[in-house]
Amino acid sequence: MTNRDLMRLEPNFTPCKKSTKKIVFSIIYYVIGATISLFFILPLLYMIAASTKSEQSIAFSNGTIMMFIPDFTDLGHFFTNYRVIFGDYDIWKYAINSLIYAAIVIVFNVIVNGLAGYVLAKFDFPAKGFFNFIILFLIVVPVETSIIPLYSIAKQMLGLRNNLSILAVILPSVISVFNIFLFTQFFSSIPKEYEEAMHIDGSSRVRIFFDLILPLSKPIVATTMVFTFIGVWNDYVWPMMVLPNTGDDSWPLYPIQAALTSIQSIEGITTGEIMASLVVTSLPIFVLYAAAQKYIVKGFGTAGLKM
Amino acid sequence: MIIVALLILLGLFVVFMGTFIVDIIKRIHSEKKYHVREIITGYMLLIPAVVLAFFFVVLPIFFSLGYAFTDFDLLHPNLSDIHYIGFENFIALIEEFKNHGEIYYSLRNTALFVVLVVPLQIGMALLLALFCNNKRPGTTIFKICFFAPVAISLSVTAFLWLVILSPNPNGIMNAILGNFGIDAQDFLGNKDTVILWMVVISAWQGCGYQMLIFLSALGNVRKDLYEAARVDGANVFQRFFTVTVPGLRPTFLYILITVFIGACRVMIQPMLLTGYQDRSMTLSYYIYTQGFTYRHVGYSCAVALMMTIIMGTITFVQRKLLGEKKK
Repeated sequence: MTNRDLMRLEPNFTPCKKSTKKIVFSIIYYVIGATISLFFILPLLYMIAASTKSEQSIAFSNGTIMMFIPDFTDLGHFFTNYRVIFGDYDIWKYAINSLIYAAIVIVFNVIVNGLAGYVLAKFDFPAKGFFNFIILFLIVVPVETSIIPLYSIAKQMLGLRNNLSILAVILPSVISVFNIFLFTQFFSSIPKEYEEAMHIDGSSRVRIFFDLILPLSKPIVATTMVFTFIGVWNDYVWPMMVLPNTGDDSWPLYPIQAALTSIQSIEGITTGEIMASLVVTSLPIFVLYAAAQKYIVKGFGTAGLKM
Repeated sequence: MIIVALLILLGLFVVFMGTFIVDIIKRIHSEKKYHVREIITGYMLLIPAVVLAFFFVVLPIFFSLGYAFTDFDLLHPNLSDIHYIGFENFIALIEEFKNHGEIYYSLRNTALFVVLVVPLQIGMALLLALFCNNKRPGTTIFKICFFAPVAISLSVTAFLWLVILSPNPNGIMNAILGNFGIDAQDFLGNKDTVILWMVVISAWQGCGYQMLIFLSALGNVRKDLYEAARVDGANVFQRFFTVTVPGLRPTFLYILITVFIGACRVMIQPMLLTGYQDRSMTLSYYIYTQGFTYRHVGYSCAVALMMTIIMGTITFVQRKLLGEKKK
């Protein structure tokens, strides 16, 4: 009697040979997966482990498996590096700077680009095609073309010597042609009937935008907000260019990434402290990705569609 | 300088108002019904975006085009110090390239980096996506691991790998290799290996992002096509090439173009890993250093213009070769 016959007689019968094959495949699958995963996370594990260790402990563990594991035998030193970067290097000040910049940019980014996207998606006027064409054109031009002229414009307009230079960090991030494009695409898919119903009730277009369009577009708004936050938090070259550098190991206006670079060059900083500052800088982004996971995956779906 | 800015602004303002007036006139003469109120509100709501885009997106591009033909120097920002010098910047650029100056190295390094990182990163992303694209328990953990490096910023990545690749015999990578009896090496100081390490670091950091895009595209490939192919007796590889590959085509093009443009713009890695060195400098970094550190804005804009033209051409070719065939 062959396996096939057995299966016909007994529907729940699975051939023994196949099931062992399956188990072997599963084991191979998980072993390969774990190996590749290690390649991706070992550097990060090292970063976290080293941030809790003293200099001797790091040097001692290098090259052995212990370098990826926090040193639990030396609990007295566990948070010393963090205490130093928060207490002596004031990393929290820069984190707060970054948070403030990001909050302002996010709010205005969604309003300004959202309104533009709303007009281009829902309003009916002849020059719409022209504006859409300009937007597609502007998306393609690389940033490098404009970063130096942008700097000269910011310098002429704002002087870049005093606190006003934070405007040079905030204003260029508020406008995002790509976000206008995303918003336009998404708003176009909202049925016109909703809007007309509110229009008949006598609501103004601005009111419709805030009360109807934005709430209906939660996935795209959330995705834009998350990516705008990450963009501002991770932005590094531009703030370094425009913010004043007094040069005495204190940069009152710097966002966190710029401060991170400057902190690395402080005399006498230890590897453990560097790693602790890297962990502190990365943590908010990890939290954000974890929290907004659902929306981001949806956003990925829309990002790949049009091209 | 300010006058030129105002003139360009005035020009753009005229264009904006011009489209507005044309819209109003068109409204009178066309059979299609446009509402004047709607046009006015529309333009009013566009104003914030348009003003900001004027200043921070359009104006810099115009300036960049203009500066490329002048000897503008940030140390002398007055209008009277700016002279039109025709194609001299471009001639200087070609001269420097011929003499194997910095531009030669930056072009060569960027080309090498792009050629290596684009296939590696996209290939890794695709393989990881195919690897995770099943219903086994635990794939979510794999996805999180593969995606984790994406969440750390470019500068954090650079500082982390700077420690890992330390030339010190007790540095991480050297200590690991030392266990296998390999001598300590200066990974980032060696001109043969520094680009390779930049490629590895970039692919390590970036491919999780493309993996997620591929995964979401794989989820959209029609399941019935797989069934049909299976019924027709296609094996795993045949199914992959006849069903998966065509289904992924638009996503693949999107990823190819974004990864390509991102790779061309590589700047922070060489900046933080090695500093301004012949062995690792790239085009963006060269543009930044010339324009910002040395303040040769005119020359830097000429290089940027050249870079934009090269990138634009290659992107255009990619789209023509791989884009949807018009039937």
